[in-house]
Amino acid sequence: MLMPRKVKHRKQHRGRLTGAAKGGQTVDFGDYGIQALEPGWITARQIEAARIAMTRYVRRGGKVWIRVFPDKPVTEKPAETRMGSGKGNPERWVAVVRPGRILFELAGVDEQLARGAMERAIQKLPIKARFVVRPGVGSESEVQVQ
Amino acid sequence: MAEIPLVADVREERGSRASRRLLHSGRIPGVVYGHGLAPVAVAMDARSLRSALSTDAGVNALLDLDIAGAHHLAIARELQRHPVRQTVLHVDFQVVRRDEVVTADVAVNLVGEPLGVTRAGGTVEHLVLSVPIKAKPADIPTQLEYDVSELTIGDTVHLRDLVLPSGVTVEADLETAVVVAHPPKGLVEEEAEAEAAPGEAAPES
Repeated sequence: MLMPRKVKHRKQHRGRLTGAAKGGQTVDFGDYGIQALEPGWITARQIEAARIAMTRYVRRGGKVWIRVFPDKPVTEKPAETRMGSGKGNPERWVAVVRPGRILFELAGVDEQLARGAMERAIQKLPIKARFVVRPGVGSESEVQVQ
Repeated sequence: MAEIPLVADVREERGSRASRRLLHSGRIPGVVYGHGLAPVAVAMDARSLRSALSTDAGVNALLDLDIAGAHHLAIARELQRHPVRQTVLHVDFQVVRRDEVVTADVAVNLVGEPLGVTRAGGTVEHLVLSVPIKAKPADIPTQLEYDVSELTIGDTVHLRDLVLPSGVTVEADLETAVVVAHPPKGLVEEEAEAEAAPGEAAPES
């Protein structure tokens, strides 16, 4: 599973999840992508589950890019513990995702296979997401204005 | 290439709130600059912008911009889009001259089916999706195409292999790899193991 090799601080504040993605909004490496439509935290386990679902469906050929990295530690207090006594222990790593962010990319397969693989990967994610095609790859070439 | 007419009005109100009001009323805010022209904030009809940028010439289309009666030859420089809806939120126009060379980004599209690679279980990786080019505004191609049907495993296509229309030069290192045909994953691992084996055996002897 993905996790940072070393970190400056072991525990972080939760932060706020407002607004849309500031970067990583376009399919930059492959031909197809999964775009987040909701904000949320995606755990390293969920990223790995989505990757496995995608690569198993594609079977052979194809290349996968993971465009998010779980670099935020999430802490939890042990069960049946009284409040206080400081912040809990780091339990898992999450990627902070805002709407518009491309989560995965795929290349080297046809659109039908890519759609099937990515729809299976979306099922493993805790947020709403959609399948997107890089402009110029599919039939869509019109500039959308409204 | 004939220029595409586009009518724009001078925009008095500035800022995000005014821009949002414009977008809700079906108009797109933008700015026009270039050739000593002081930047002019403009607004145009969303549907006419879409039809102007959705022709065969693509987003690098040469436009005849009519700003309150004054005509300017311009190309769209940057389209700001909504991160989820992908609708255009703002557009930059650069005033150009017909005889002056300008830079533009042009998409590199692969055509044909690389059967020599896919039948052998390999994959074709498309590394460079768009290329910066220099050309006169009327000579800017919609896209650069490369036929990958003759590609075999191990082949690499460089920028110098792309066929450019006359009057177009690429503004990047010509040795840059555009397309690479990779062998099947298992084949690479087997080769790596075969290469590693003699090296490992050497210290023992």
